Amino acid sequence: MIEVKEVEKKFGRKKILKGVSFTANKGEITCLIGINGVGKTTILNAIMALTPIHKGQILIDGEPLKENTFEKITFIPDAITMLPQMTIAESMEFMHDFYASWNQERATELLSFFKLKPNDRIASLSKGNSAKVNLLLGLALDVDYVLMDEPFSGIDMFSREEIANVFTSHLIENRGVIITTHEVGDIEHLIDKVVLLDDGMVTKEFNAEEARENEGKSVIDVMREVYVR
Amino acid sequence: MKNYIKLANFEINRVSKLFTVLLGITLIVQIVGVIVEARKYLNMANEKMYEEMMSIAEFLEMFNQMSFIQVVRSVWFLGPIALCIAGVAFYIFLIWYRDWFGRNTFVYRLLMLPTSRLTIFFAKITTIMVMTLGFVAFQLILLPIELLIFKGMVPSDFRNDMGVREVVSSMPEISIIIPGSLLELILYYGAGLLAVSILFTGILFERSFKWKGIFAAVLYGAVAVVLFISPLLLQEFVVDHFFYPLELFLLEIVMGLIIFAGSIWTSGFLLKKKITV
Amino acid sequence: MNIKLNNRDPVYLQIVRYFKEQIAIGKLEPGEEIPSRRELANRMKVNPNTAQRAYKEMEEQGLIYTERNLPSKITTDQAILGKVREELLVEAVDTFVASVRSINVPVEELLDLVKVKYTSKDEDKEA
Repeated sequence: MIEVKEVEKKFGRKKILKGVSFTANKGEITCLIGINGVGKTTILNAIMALTPIHKGQILIDGEPLKENTFEKITFIPDAITMLPQMTIAESMEFMHDFYASWNQERATELLSFFKLKPNDRIASLSKGNSAKVNLLLGLALDVDYVLMDEPFSGIDMFSREEIANVFTSHLIENRGVIITTHEVGDIEHLIDKVVLLDDGMVTKEFNAEEARENEGKSVIDVMREVYVR
Repeated sequence: MKNYIKLANFEINRVSKLFTVLLGITLIVQIVGVIVEARKYLNMANEKMYEEMMSIAEFLEMFNQMSFIQVVRSVWFLGPIALCIAGVAFYIFLIWYRDWFGRNTFVYRLLMLPTSRLTIFFAKITTIMVMTLGFVAFQLILLPIELLIFKGMVPSDFRNDMGVREVVSSMPEISIIIPGSLLELILYYGAGLLAVSILFTGILFERSFKWKGIFAAVLYGAVAVVLFISPLLLQEFVVDHFFYPLELFLLEIVMGLIIFAGSIWTSGFLLKKKITV
Repeated sequence: MNIKLNNRDPVYLQIVRYFKEQIAIGKLEPGEEIPSRRELANRMKVNPNTAQRAYKEMEEQGLIYTERNLPSKITTDQAILGKVREELLVEAVDTFVASVRSINVPVEELLDLVKVKYTSKDEDKEA
């Protein structure tokens, strides 16, 4: 379980996170939604210790992040994290070199799943394909938790479809996934848990299926109640 | 340790293009320099002897034999060295900043490696050292070749032969880069390493705190410098030449090691707790 | 597996309903193997946990059964299968009646119209 507890974060004098708390379970897809501005990405960065927090605590399976936690949790940012001059194959080689949790078999499977050519250079990839490479490099790690920053934004419709397929496949099964998005339409049926963020705080944390079952409300209905006042 | 070697290797590969280009420029410009300078001297000798009917003896008395020092003092020789130094100085910053900027934010990858983040620091500082020593080694290989070309061009009557060692020791600027003894080498390059570690710490302050970080970086640099020269200041102004030179020297070394350790510790702390992507 | 999901009903119940419809119209036969949970999630583009829940619900209702380590199958229990058909029919008629009631037609007139429409629909299909 990933526990984010009372996390506060300032950029200069401006508080962006004002005591954010939520949990994300293994085996579930948790969706961080915020319709405006910063915060979502900052939370993911904070979980990965890529930016300091000023207050609060983040625990991964009950422990704060350490070096080898990166064999247990991975982050797929919205920009590609490999050098432009590297090929896809070289990027995979790099991951293979450094991560004990790298699963070469799964990597090869993902390569054909996304129909990527290993000798293509990172710099030459379309937006959709670089998103897929990003996903490949993250998902080929045998980690328990995967964080994804806006995996669907800014890419073509067919790439979106392919990426959505990942969420219903064994590539995600039994992992804990946190994704951020500002637009829930496409993925409403793919997610388990929704965490709504507004003005640096969690305004609502709920299970999507329970909201439908108990209140007859879609995720967007709940969002409307929270954001449109 | 394994990760450190892999990462250092990776970083060195990343700079190999810039490194090769600088080596190429050095090779071409210095050799062209040898040829041009030798030609200039020989043309002058020809002019004097054939047009002004000077004898060889008269010419040599008036203009002296040509020594390789003339080549060394020319912009042909020193220019590429200055360029390589500038290249290293520039890369000390670029080696960090290139990971943050541009379309590809490699810093995410580096900071998420399942290894101590200090490994990144060590890999990068190693790259700077390897690059520097690589230039020096290349210059040492190039010098005998240039001397050979020089000998081939200028007839023995007109030249004053020098060995590599003499060439190097003839110019203080060069003898800093290529020291005469192992101790000097360790001292000079140790001081260089110390300076790079302070700069790296400064860069990490900036990367952690942005504008405020620049202020912190300058402050850190100033404190480091003051600490480093504090034994000298003490000697001069407080204890009135109480220390023997050797004692002072050892004090300086200890001070240097303390500052180096301090830079590593601070960088490790910043990378682990304060850095931001 | 063509299913149009709406956003307000629980997805697992929509899946259960989809299976009931398929059983009622004979698209799924008694004893027929059904896809694994993961495959279903993938084909319907739903969360695997939801697919899992739908299967659990269907198992509880006796619509499907699983013998250890084998793919789940549609029940062969005629009583349950009959109930599915009836349940869907009653549900559809309930919805129809509820919407038609507001028009206030005499029941005979309504039934005649239903008869005409229902049979002509059949002919349309056959034509």
